[in-house]
Amino acid sequence: MTAIGALLTEELRGWIGREVSYAAPEEIGRASIRYFALAIGDDNPLYVDDAYARAAGYPSIIAPPTFVCETCQYAHRPPDHDGYVGHTWELPIKGCRMIRGGHDYEFFRPVMPEDRINVTWLLEDISEHESSRGGSMLVVTSVATYVNQRGDMLARNRETLIFQPVEALP
Amino acid sequence: MSLRSPAAGAIETGTPIPPLERTLTQVRMVAYGGATWDWHRLHYEPAYTAARKIAGPIVDGQMFGALLAEALLDWLGPRAFIRRMSFRLRAMVFAGETVRCEGEVTSIVAEHDYEVVRVAQRIRVGERIAVEPAGAEIALPR
Repeated sequence: MTAIGALLTEELRGWIGREVSYAAPEEIGRASIRYFALAIGDDNPLYVDDAYARAAGYPSIIAPPTFVCETCQYAHRPPDHDGYVGHTWELPIKGCRMIRGGHDYEFFRPVMPEDRINVTWLLEDISEHESSRGGSMLVVTSVATYVNQRGDMLARNRETLIFQPVEALP
Repeated sequence: MSLRSPAAGAIETGTPIPPLERTLTQVRMVAYGGATWDWHRLHYEPAYTAARKIAGPIVDGQMFGALLAEALLDWLGPRAFIRRMSFRLRAMVFAGETVRCEGEVTSIVAEHDYEVVRVAQRIRVGERIAVEPAGAEIALPR
């Protein structure tokens, strides 16, 4: 069992406040939007049918609302050990498994196929809490801000990740 | 052409959101990983999850945000704009499980040219709660 306070080291605290930005190398594009809708099983014509989208008041098809916060298209790097290609802090946390805790999204306008995404990630906070399973866990909160190539605000995503010591798990 | 008809006018506090059910097969999970440029091994590699004391590949929690949003726009129509949403993951969901997104209206208020609808949502897998609390704020043009 990991004692409270053992996980949140001074070294780790030093990461709080760090910021990193990414610029997508290309526009989102229609294919990415259609691919996403098909993958999740959303058959809303708003994402594939221009005439339908125009009748609803948009200039063309739009992306599903949460798409911008889910895609890692902005990053351009090979997959890491976990197979991940999106933003990661590579925090000095050993012996823990990472799971997602939750998200808070804010959306400022619909995202269009022509938008090229620039993302800035801020490591807002790291805290240590008692786990419901006993022992300790780390909660890492980051905020991603998404703008397009003209600086238009698109969305904000506050993400909570949880790190649990594997040895303490049943 | 018929637009999906907004339900505005029929909405009041307590009005249920039509539920959305979806089976999250391993195929869908892999497709989602491709579509989001997220190839994390948690979502398809049993040996990787076993080493972390997880029973099998798990659904990416962010997919639940997409499903909760889909349920809202299917109900409120293409002119509805989700301004905010939030969701907390309570339990892991595994390949092949069927999720059910449900919820209800918690308030509706007029604001300039919009009706602002606030909802509480959750996701169940059978009797198990996978996502809760969750909620959203949606602007509906009048």
